Amino acid sequence: MDQTDNQLIDATLSGSVSAWETLVRRHETRVYNIGLRLMHNPDDAMDLTQEVFLGVYRNLYRFRGDSQFSTWLFRIVHNKAIDMIRRRQSGPDMETGFDELPEPADSHDGPQEQYLESEFNERIAKFLSRLPPAQRVIVELKVFQSLTFDEIAPLQNIPVNTAKTRFYTALKNLKGMMEVHA
Amino acid sequence: MSCPHVAESIADHFDEFLSPATQQKHQQHLADCRECRSEIDALNALPKMLGAWQTQSVPDWDRRAIMRPHAVRKTLPHRHSHWSSVARWVPLAASLVLAIAVVTQTRVEVTDSGWSLSFGGSAQDSGNEQLDSYLAIYAAAQQADTREWVENALRAHGETTADSVYQWMTWMEQQREQDVRRMEAGFQQMLDRDFQTVDTVRQLASYVMYQESP
Repeated sequence: MDQTDNQLIDATLSGSVSAWETLVRRHETRVYNIGLRLMHNPDDAMDLTQEVFLGVYRNLYRFRGDSQFSTWLFRIVHNKAIDMIRRRQSGPDMETGFDELPEPADSHDGPQEQYLESEFNERIAKFLSRLPPAQRVIVELKVFQSLTFDEIAPLQNIPVNTAKTRFYTALKNLKGMMEVHA
Repeated sequence: MSCPHVAESIADHFDEFLSPATQQKHQQHLADCRECRSEIDALNALPKMLGAWQTQSVPDWDRRAIMRPHAVRKTLPHRHSHWSSVARWVPLAASLVLAIAVVTQTRVEVTDSGWSLSFGGSAQDSGNEQLDSYLAIYAAAQQADTREWVENALRAHGETTADSVYQWMTWMEQQREQDVRRMEAGFQQMLDRDFQTVDTVRQLASYVMYQESP
């Protein structure tokens, strides 16, 4: 019978390497795909995945089981992803704010620009990457993680109405991009 | 006329967990608002289309490697080491020394015959470049001192390995990065609040001199 997350955590804290590996394998796909959508780059997604699980491991002794492990994990993913996006932004396009629409990438990207396994994923990730990070994160939380706006607001530390407005603006931006590339 | 509730309407439309009361209010608004209905029609397919994302598998990576550095790090707080508790106060102590140097207008002058330390003195218009230069030299010196100090401490303590030195240094560097971020945030707040305050701080900082004779 499969062990529960809590059993694996207890075993990990007791030093079991195989329990840790099982726990990571169980949750890493979700983390990695969040990374792909938020970063639009497999290398960055992998960096995020490794940073997240490093953070999880360092803080595992703090997990008390009051909430589900996946919820606790997602909070770490969220915070690490925001940090990583900000760090990436402080590089070449530092002038683009967290809420601002970045310059559109070259629409004539060749085959070498394709990062993801499927063409469909590639298109979605590319559209998402053109959203301001704040809107991209809201779309991730709402569409892909199915959180309510009452859950998103405290996670993002913003009012509920701001979360709703960002979501609406993100959808409008995405719609506009898709019409241009239709 | 543009509906002021359109963002809320769209968000509520895609929220599957609305309370019955909010749901009823939302439906009532839609019945009366052509603009919101039109926006929902235009955007309705988007979340579903995005949700068709095909889950991708994770490339193979060394999941067990994460456990190795942590094992060292986890043992550090439980050693009850005198050195580890002292190390936490190093950045604060360094900041305190710098603050005292600013308040007392300390000046360090390095010449071929040695160096001299003086307090007080007249203010010089050294400008931002001088302050930046001082801070860079100070940071480099602090980093080198800290590294040497930690290595000596661990060597003397006798429980160390090369890995634990590296891990401890990593931890120290993270602390320092946090300090720098906090300092940057503090400066930004000051800039936003009052330019004159920043100017005063600049003048104070300029009293701290580090001059190297040609």
